[in-house]
Amino acid sequence: MRRGILLILAFAAPVAAEVKYNRDIRPLLADRCFACHGFDPGKRKGDLRLDTRDGAILKNGEGRAAVVPGDEEASELWKRLVTKDEDDMMPPPESHKTVNEAEKALLKRWIEEGAEYEAHWAFTPPVAVGVPGGGHPVDAFLGAGFGGLKASGEADRATLIRRVTMALTGLPPSVAESEAFLADGAEGAYERVVDRLLGSVHYGEEMARPWLDAARYGDTHGMHLDNERQMWAYRDWVVRAFNENLPFDRFSEWQIAGDLMPEGGADALIATGFNRCNVTTGEGGSIDAELIFRYAVDRTATMAQTWLGLTAGCAVCHDHKYDPITQKDFYSLYAFFVSNADPAMDGNTLLTEPVVKVRAGDSGRREEEWRAKEMKAREELAALEVKAGYLDPADADPRPEPVTVERVWFEDGFPEGSNPGAVGHPVQLVKAPEPVFSGAVSLKRGGAGLAQDYYESGGNPLVVPEGAEMFLMVYLDPADPPEEVMVQFHSGGTWQHRAVWGADLIEFGKKGTTERYVAGPLPEVGKWVRLNVPAAKMGMAAGLAVTGYAFTVNGGTVWFDHLGFAGKTDPANDPGVSFAAWRRSVAGKDLMEAPEGLRQVIKDGPDKAAEAELIGRLRSYYVQEVCAGTAAVLAGPRGVLAEVKRERAEADAQQPSTFVFRDLPTPRDAFVMVRGQYDKPGEKVGPATPGVLPAMTPPEGGRRPDRRDLARWITDRRNPLTARVIVNRFWQQMFGTGLVETSHDFGTQGSQPTHPELLDWLAVWWQDRKWDTKQLVRLLVTSGAFRRDSAAPAAAWVEDPANRRLARGPRLRLDAEQLRDQALFAGGLLVREMGGKGVKPYQPPNIWEPVAYTGSNTRFYEADKGSALYRRSLYTFIKRTAPAPYMVNFDAPSREQACTRRERSNTPLQALQLMNDVQHVEAARGLAGDVMRAAADKAGRIAGLYRRVLVREPRADETAVLERLLDGELARYRAAPEAAQKAVTFGASVPPAGVDAVELAAWTLVAGTVLNLDEAINRN
Amino acid sequence: MESPLLQHELLQTRRQFFGTTGLRMGGAALAFLKAAGEAGAAGPSAVHPALPGLPHHRPRAKAVIYFHMNGGPSQLDTWDYKPGLQEYFDKDLPESIRKGQRLTTMTSGQGRFPVAPSKFEFKQHGQCGRWVSSLLPHTAKIVDEIALVKSVHTNAINHDPACTFVMTGSEVPGKASMGSWLSYGLGAETSDLPSFVCLMPRFPEGSNGQALFSRMWGPGFLPGKHAGVVLRSAGDAVLYLDNPPGVDGSSRRAMLDALAALNGKSFERFADPDIQTRIAQYEMAYRLQSSVPELTDFGKEPQSVLDLYGPEVKQPGSFAGSALLARRLVERGVRVVQIMHRGWDSHGDLPGQMGNQCKDTDQGCAALVQDLKQRGMLDDVVVVWGGEFGRTVYSQGTLTRENYGRDHHPRNFCMWLAGGGIKGGVVHGETDDFSYSPVADPVHINQINATILACLGIDHERFTFKFQGLDQRLTGVEPAPVIKSILA
Repeated sequence: MRRGILLILAFAAPVAAEVKYNRDIRPLLADRCFACHGFDPGKRKGDLRLDTRDGAILKNGEGRAAVVPGDEEASELWKRLVTKDEDDMMPPPESHKTVNEAEKALLKRWIEEGAEYEAHWAFTPPVAVGVPGGGHPVDAFLGAGFGGLKASGEADRATLIRRVTMALTGLPPSVAESEAFLADGAEGAYERVVDRLLGSVHYGEEMARPWLDAARYGDTHGMHLDNERQMWAYRDWVVRAFNENLPFDRFSEWQIAGDLMPEGGADALIATGFNRCNVTTGEGGSIDAELIFRYAVDRTATMAQTWLGLTAGCAVCHDHKYDPITQKDFYSLYAFFVSNADPAMDGNTLLTEPVVKVRAGDSGRREEEWRAKEMKAREELAALEVKAGYLDPADADPRPEPVTVERVWFEDGFPEGSNPGAVGHPVQLVKAPEPVFSGAVSLKRGGAGLAQDYYESGGNPLVVPEGAEMFLMVYLDPADPPEEVMVQFHSGGTWQHRAVWGADLIEFGKKGTTERYVAGPLPEVGKWVRLNVPAAKMGMAAGLAVTGYAFTVNGGTVWFDHLGFAGKTDPANDPGVSFAAWRRSVAGKDLMEAPEGLRQVIKDGPDKAAEAELIGRLRSYYVQEVCAGTAAVLAGPRGVLAEVKRERAEADAQQPSTFVFRDLPTPRDAFVMVRGQYDKPGEKVGPATPGVLPAMTPPEGGRRPDRRDLARWITDRRNPLTARVIVNRFWQQMFGTGLVETSHDFGTQGSQPTHPELLDWLAVWWQDRKWDTKQLVRLLVTSGAFRRDSAAPAAAWVEDPANRRLARGPRLRLDAEQLRDQALFAGGLLVREMGGKGVKPYQPPNIWEPVAYTGSNTRFYEADKGSALYRRSLYTFIKRTAPAPYMVNFDAPSREQACTRRERSNTPLQALQLMNDVQHVEAARGLAGDVMRAAADKAGRIAGLYRRVLVREPRADETAVLERLLDGELARYRAAPEAAQKAVTFGASVPPAGVDAVELAAWTLVAGTVLNLDEAINRN
Repeated sequence: MESPLLQHELLQTRRQFFGTTGLRMGGAALAFLKAAGEAGAAGPSAVHPALPGLPHHRPRAKAVIYFHMNGGPSQLDTWDYKPGLQEYFDKDLPESIRKGQRLTTMTSGQGRFPVAPSKFEFKQHGQCGRWVSSLLPHTAKIVDEIALVKSVHTNAINHDPACTFVMTGSEVPGKASMGSWLSYGLGAETSDLPSFVCLMPRFPEGSNGQALFSRMWGPGFLPGKHAGVVLRSAGDAVLYLDNPPGVDGSSRRAMLDALAALNGKSFERFADPDIQTRIAQYEMAYRLQSSVPELTDFGKEPQSVLDLYGPEVKQPGSFAGSALLARRLVERGVRVVQIMHRGWDSHGDLPGQMGNQCKDTDQGCAALVQDLKQRGMLDDVVVVWGGEFGRTVYSQGTLTRENYGRDHHPRNFCMWLAGGGIKGGVVHGETDDFSYSPVADPVHINQINATILACLGIDHERFTFKFQGLDQRLTGVEPAPVIKSILA
């Protein structure tokens, strides 16, 4: 072991060669010295910096310098390293850092050789040197030495096809695919397999997985209530983009700035979901400015990590200790993201604006029907208008007396033009046989904890009449009564008017005031009850324009219907009955529900002159479709219009939407935040890229740079990082470890590339090929390095445990998703349907429930049924505060923050899962049934198991071990047939017909053993 | 892939493991492991070894039991006795005290901030004469064992970031939890159980239960095997612990023997040391299948011990049961047990809710300390009690003498520690007359964590892990001195 470590060091730094600053010295200085003598002036001690040559050789007041090139004895750095005096010693004892003898020798030689510095390799653009030799370019760069290790030969074909199929699709090959490859003796057989796999739709799914780790994609908001959010269209777009081989530059630009690139169409907009994937909160008591700050910090750091391989997070609080990314650099990048149009508080709702619909519905045929109905209804209205005999009370002489009116504000849905939202499940308008008080539908609200339907934007305001009384019909579910019911009203931009019935548990508003008027006990359950509250009790005076309302329940289920105000009104000033009053009330508005030709005259208002003909049409529109006074006569056709409208809205609501990123019309100012505190703005900064990297192309005409410019700078050929960082991550995905091991950190603290010329050549080659990702991936997996046998002598594993020298082929434990998908595939259970809403397969009980917030809509896990249990793991619903245990157990990230490199742990909990999880047991049974059908003898069946899982044939000694296991289990199950019956009926899938339960149970255990083999858990 | 150092540790692990636990394995595994492993030193920390060089100094305790009272218990109604507040009933909190301090938006809109004195009676207890409210009659009996810190403060004002802070030393998700740090640094003294275990007892109906987050016991950047293992109160105690229906222990043993034999052949072919680890982990899984049921079976506990914890102790998922389970876990060599009890977020009806919360937990907390003491284990275990922040002196919502609510208050709250390395019967820190700000010895939450580490023999400043270009540590980048005055 000791020898091994020394050899590794020797490989990294050959003693004979010249000392290189970047390779040998910088990592040393960075770790031991830069914390106090580095880039950060705030932390710098003794006015000395060692991160630049100028700083290191600068003479102080006494004429001494830390480094005197060529003369270590005169160099203060050297003296301090070797002194025994604790006061002078460097690093100081209290730092707990030491420099060992080998390191001292390196520093000594470096000073002797002239103490040359080099620019950080990753910040200078990649240059492609010529391929050093023939054959596959990757292998040409790797050379033949392998640091003294002997290279393995090519893996056998069975291993190869399983390895490459797993790597490119995340699934094992089918038996037919394997057999075809094993039988293909012609030249290029392997390359043909690769090309077939690159054309498979599963390629996109497999490539999307690591990308979604970086994007931190999830199906919930991620904080506090951690309610569901809807943005799976973004996940599906990533899959599609890889499958369609969208050039990587465009793939990147759309995600950063697709909203500013209309030429990209709908997909470019969906792609901006990348910057909406961050965790958000709706926790009461949060401070908006703090959240806006945090979201922008997260978006900036994620962008930097994903494309630039920079861990910019440190610079949130201070100048980066080691990297020349200053705090100002960080906040200048942050300035691109801080003008987000999405709100600080996510509202705990499924769709937090801005969102877009993701595809047109299949409502084409119904649309024709609706139009025909509307046309007929309007014809009837026109015919009935005369009969209605409308007279504007404002024109009447004498003016009519005030009258008692009932203003209904909820009837068959929320008001025209409003944007309803919900906390808990989406808004549900239901028809009979569910309780409906009046009209065609009522509003149903239920769910655990606090749940709500509301609107606060769009629609006409309702003016509170004189002496008004609010009325509302409610129907409490006798089977699931709530603890409390609340109604709230919105005016002047806030919610300050509430009335509650029941337990008064909802902590909104100040108790005993109009903010929280306790109106009485809960009404009787199981019947429609009319609730009345004088508007004044809720602080609503006559004339107040109310702009929204909310129905809230605490636990239980309630139907709401027929909300409104009753009171006195002067008809001449009532927009509901007076055309003139209505025109005044809607002046200045874009009334989207009105016919297009009338919207301008409505907006212009009565004070602007208009043609008499136009006014006439407007008046007809009012009388026919708006005026409450004519409602009785026009009820028939108006009802038809309302019905069509509701049906259209329902169809619309069923079309999924997805979160997109947009900016506010006026950008927010950005500041360097002192010590990373949201409320301590310092110097004001504009959007700009870090000074240490090549500058971005200035926008035309002196325009303020926006995310478009940032996106183009990221994919600009002069950017030294992007292509290298991404190539390295693809390498990591295929080979297990990147050429740069710290794939998340290309800064000066990151590791050096093991094969820098190869990395640069690949980066340039890829860009020359217009960022063609499939070509790049093809190049990697067709290399000899990828195709080598992964077996190696024991000494080689000790000497190069992580296979950095690539003398053997990659041997990697499968990822969480690959393990589950492989089992489903082998068991014949896998459902290949792609995309859509996240699915909920089996999950042990009590994963969500013990941790979830009481009022969360993802508190109770309810597994799906049928085919949704067996979809690919990519489509599993991700609740970020309680991710699926079978994923986390195998190191899948929670998606709360960006992850560009997964760990590969090896734990007993993993063993328990693979042996006992119903998903794996069912898969083993499916596999057992399959091989039992295919062969009659034991050896044939065992061979079938090996072929299906490992592709290869079992050896005789392996067959013997499993036959022995089988015989023992057959005997045991024969003695206990009831145990066999239990074993074969576990899980939702049906055991194969006509198979003896005893045999099947025994074979299930044998098949499970094969699926638990280390060889099955790895791609070998 | 792991670093050479980790690989080396793994190899060591395997050697120790093979040397000590072979007797409990089946034939094939034993045969293979004998052939593959060398006879190593028989150490107790075989499966969960300590890092080389740890502990840094002589440890005073071996294990931690952490009662996390999730939601923010009111210090004013438990430990921080402010008799002078009675005179201030319903008077506005003086601006000289509040000093424009930021508030959550739940109360920042309130017109006034009326002082709500605690309605609970305080009495002095123990040799030390500690003032304790009538809500904690059992804990009042152990005040001479505990060090009370009255001046703990944190940075965050809302639950999610504050919980993340108290457990990981940062309010930004992604850092490692304290239990994971300790598992990583010290391993455990058992080969049959995980090194870090979490319990989530149920909490009273009607209390305001805030969310827990897996990051509170997550490994962050540390290797995944250091994640806290949740022992569940319903279903399998450990996820996927039970064999599927129709598979019994003998079948499992036979299967594992076959598996070990076949994996042994794979090792012969590939020579990948990870295969040896895999064989060892499957055997560990098998041992968990028997050690966990034994662990959760209280049948052999004497009645006197059960009585100490109270009548609910035998109900799975009760707080009392979790407290007893915690003792049984550390007794068996588990390094860290974290008990997360929810429901302490009393914005309204605080007296009622606090009453229920304390009733649910008071006896269990005190019983654990007494039980450890009577077994001579208290010197080896640090027991910690506290939430993620405290609560405001002014009332949220309607205020009467009998009823009030309190908002979040991160500026000062109370925590207590007891056991190994901790001095009993002392107080550290003092707050002003309104329990609004510390006036002596303020203690940042990271100092509490630094002190816990110190009890286990770890210098928190030297206990680092390189990640994202920084030497990460549990206690963050700002200085967080150990609270020496509460150390024994």
